[in-house]
Amino acid sequence: MTSRHTTNPARSWRDIPQQMSPRALSSEGRRRASLRVLKTAGILVVVGALAWGGYQVAGTLREGPKQQTGAMQSAPVKDLVLVTDGVLNQAWLSQALALPKNTSLMALDLFQLRNRVLASGQVRSATLTRSFPATLAVNLSERMPVARLSAQDRDGTVRTMLVARDGVVYDGVGYDPAMTTTLPWLAGVKLTRVGGTFQPIAGMEPVAELLAKTKLEAEHLYGNWKVVSLARLESDAVIEVTTRDSAKIIFGVNEDFFRQLANLDAILDAAAAHPEKTLREINLAVGSQVPVAFSDAPAVAVPATGRASPPVSTAAPRLILPSISKP
Amino acid sequence: MSSRSTFIGAVEIGTSKITALVGEYTGRELAIIGHGECSSRGVIKGAVVDYKAACECTHSALEQAERDGGERIEMVFLAQTGAHLEGFYNEAAVNVKAADNMIEAADIRTVSDLAKSKELPAGRMVVHNIRRPFRVDGRLVPGTPESLVGQRLEVGYWTVHGQEQRLADNIHVIRGFNLEVRELVLASLASGHMVTTAEDRQHGVLAIDLGAGTTDYVLYRDGCAYMTGVVPVGGSHLTNDLSIGLRLTEGQAEKLKLRFGRASVQVRDKAEKVWLDGNFAIGDRQFPRQAIEQITAARTWELLEVVKKKLGNTFTPESCAAGVVLTGGTAKLPGIAEAAAKVFGVPAHLGETPSWVAENLRDPGNHTALGLLYYGVNAHSERMATERRRGGLLNNFKKLFASA
Repeated sequence: MTSRHTTNPARSWRDIPQQMSPRALSSEGRRRASLRVLKTAGILVVVGALAWGGYQVAGTLREGPKQQTGAMQSAPVKDLVLVTDGVLNQAWLSQALALPKNTSLMALDLFQLRNRVLASGQVRSATLTRSFPATLAVNLSERMPVARLSAQDRDGTVRTMLVARDGVVYDGVGYDPAMTTTLPWLAGVKLTRVGGTFQPIAGMEPVAELLAKTKLEAEHLYGNWKVVSLARLESDAVIEVTTRDSAKIIFGVNEDFFRQLANLDAILDAAAAHPEKTLREINLAVGSQVPVAFSDAPAVAVPATGRASPPVSTAAPRLILPSISKP
Repeated sequence: MSSRSTFIGAVEIGTSKITALVGEYTGRELAIIGHGECSSRGVIKGAVVDYKAACECTHSALEQAERDGGERIEMVFLAQTGAHLEGFYNEAAVNVKAADNMIEAADIRTVSDLAKSKELPAGRMVVHNIRRPFRVDGRLVPGTPESLVGQRLEVGYWTVHGQEQRLADNIHVIRGFNLEVRELVLASLASGHMVTTAEDRQHGVLAIDLGAGTTDYVLYRDGCAYMTGVVPVGGSHLTNDLSIGLRLTEGQAEKLKLRFGRASVQVRDKAEKVWLDGNFAIGDRQFPRQAIEQITAARTWELLEVVKKKLGNTFTPESCAAGVVLTGGTAKLPGIAEAAAKVFGVPAHLGETPSWVAENLRDPGNHTALGLLYYGVNAHSERMATERRRGGLLNNFKKLFASA
């Protein structure tokens, strides 16, 4: 082993400290120093972000396959959650979906299930969502009935069906019978069957509007309506309503329904003052003049309302009344 | 070796101009990609006398070089000159320790440390330790003597040292730009490396860099720098002499020097006169051309004599077979090669810029900056390699944490 030779070398220029305070830097030097700090900070941020991203990716790779395998091999659908704006219930949904037993959530064909739900005319739209681990959520938007009609099946069975505002004819499920019995019957329509369902009825929009307006503005009149006929809708642009008293009221679809209803109300009030006469027909579709026809049937006594009313001639079969201006 | 490029700045803070170059070093090749230049202020005879002015000019040159190169400089090699630089020779000898007289690395390290261990006066710092060839039993060894057999190992170092304050001033000018000075290189070594070939240096050659404020010289022998020195006289003294002798302003004298100055008197006709400006404007005067040449020649001759005197017995025509090579801005003075040949008694010629240097850099005034880049890269690589060998992985880690 050689002995180490110790010397005391002279100081070199490298011993001159090169650290400088920011004050001693020129403006360009300060700018460079700031840039260097920013660059260092940027590198640290990027390295940190990469490390965090790597950690996240590693976590996903570690846990992800387990989750996916678990989902694919999940337990059968346990919960069926129904959210609707109408009257359909869980029982109907279960029946409509007809899910096989022990079917896993991932194995469900949501498109097919949606079509099953939409097969009922009562459902306007449906959204089906998987909610892991074992829940199928169904969100429904339902149609509301505006009228009812009787339809005969191929085997001759007569069924009562409901008609929605858009003309769709469907079996009403879950409605309160007290509500459906108040709906007027629809007449004068020709139902066309395609497959197992009826085609929507054309021209239901003005009928639905008339019924909705009557129910809202003159519920006492609406309650007395029994049949609404669309027989002359296409040809004469009129809607014929038959009341429970067998009187026929004709509404023009080109006229304002509200004004026609007001006229009707006034005429009925006036007619009520003469219970000995029975109304047969009120035609509100001819414009400012309203022809009113009476029948010769014995009049039912109507209590006086105490309200002044125009004289009604019993001799003449028709009386032309002035129209009432729209309030 | 890393494939990443390092962008190195070479800066020469001269008396008349400041030059900055940007070199792209890939680990194998060095390419000059940027050049910046600025008229110098605040520097006299290579020493910074006005820190702020010197900073402004140097930073301007650095910015220009960075813009030209399109890259940011990462480290700087700085040329060092000035009258404060001095040198001395010191040698040491050791007996080879091994029983079989085979020289080991430890012997080399010991003799080298001994040769460099001479203490300096207070306020002085080593700039360079330039090793001369090893001798084994008096026999010259051009390379490393390791594994050679001998009894006595000798080596000598030419140590260049400078005033601490002057060195710090120069370094702080660069630090003001927020750049680190990695190598401090003698201007004479840088320019000498550029204008001489390895063969010249082996045969012996004297390289003289005639600047504006100083004249740097280096004498090569046996392939290495044998002696260096700085004379605080340069081209600006020629201007000053003309200014005094002909009663002119500095600017006028500089103009006359550049147009009619010579290092040897050529005009024989005393009556031959030249115009100061030559535009026949008011104030334009005539001067005897011979007088201009006599003044510049006398000062140049004197300057070369001073260099010869400082070299002393070290310089002999026999030991300088490759002659004298002149470079620097003042070397453009006509007739200077003839003057040098007469003074030194050996052939003299102007240093030529290597052919691979771009056209805009082919000027004797850029030789120092160019050489600085090449000499600096070699020196830096050697130093890093030595540190790696000596330090080891653990020491490098320690240094890393210490610097942090």
